[in-house]
Amino acid sequence: MPEPVSTTIGICLLSYATAQGVVRRNTAVSSEAQAIRDAVTAVVDWTERSQALFGQKAAAISSLRALANEGGHAGWDTDDACAIDSATVLLAESFIRALPDGIPMPELAPEPGGSISLDWLPDRNRLFSLSIGATDRLAFAWLDGSDKGHGVARFDGHTVPSRVRQGIESIIGHASLRVA
Amino acid sequence: MLPSGLPNLVADDEELARFLTQNSHFTSSMPKPAAFLPSLKGRETSVSRHGPAPLESLWTIGLQAAGDRSLYGAAIFKARVVRAAQLEVAAAEPPPRHAAIRNWPWMEADPGMQKAAQKEKALVLASEAVLLMR
Repeated sequence: MPEPVSTTIGICLLSYATAQGVVRRNTAVSSEAQAIRDAVTAVVDWTERSQALFGQKAAAISSLRALANEGGHAGWDTDDACAIDSATVLLAESFIRALPDGIPMPELAPEPGGSISLDWLPDRNRLFSLSIGATDRLAFAWLDGSDKGHGVARFDGHTVPSRVRQGIESIIGHASLRVA
Repeated sequence: MLPSGLPNLVADDEELARFLTQNSHFTSSMPKPAAFLPSLKGRETSVSRHGPAPLESLWTIGLQAAGDRSLYGAAIFKARVVRAAQLEVAAAEPPPRHAAIRNWPWMEADPGMQKAAQKEKALVLASEAVLLMR
């Protein structure tokens, strides 16, 4: 039985290795060769960036699953905490996959209500915290110096809500946008 | 005066300790906001009326509070921080030195907004708390 996924990965790796060879051998002399080399360099750069990003997300998803395992039963805090259910884990996983390039992976923590907290804590005066539970409504709050606030946004499972994205970017310093 | 010898009223300058029993509730430099969220049953956050010193006494109380759980450390903050977040802290003995942070927003009709409002207050506590590792 053929294994199309493995074959595809094999072809991709072979192409990538070949492309790396093209980029590293700096012997072409014509302008056409230069253009090809530039294009291949761009592909290699993109591939390496994608691999780095995928690696970060894979690590975050792995941490998420470990957290879900620890909090998978009611009373994980030996008190009255709710279990983290599979719907919550899947939604949190989708959210991590949907994070745009340039946004660092969040810190993760279980919450007493069975939700998962995703936190960006660049320093103690700039904090953004998001709660993912079993529904598509994301509760979030931020603190930026003396400014603070909170809100709720819907997550469609594919795209980080703009209010949330802008809030995270504002806190991590990638933009001066403020959550409305 | 309470059985512990502490006054009934928690003064603004008093230090409070929130014991950390989940290894995902703190980073290398600070406690995470989730560490401060209230329990569902009591709608309050348990703390101990104890500062960073003496350490031995702090960890003795912490181990009793942790029970079967691991005790990783404590988040230490002043009572005035709690009140600045428009929460309240009140003595709640026994056990000795126990206090409870109350007055968390509770909106049965809108659990999402309730959680968001609670998180905002938890962020204030996290930003002001000093992390003390065991």
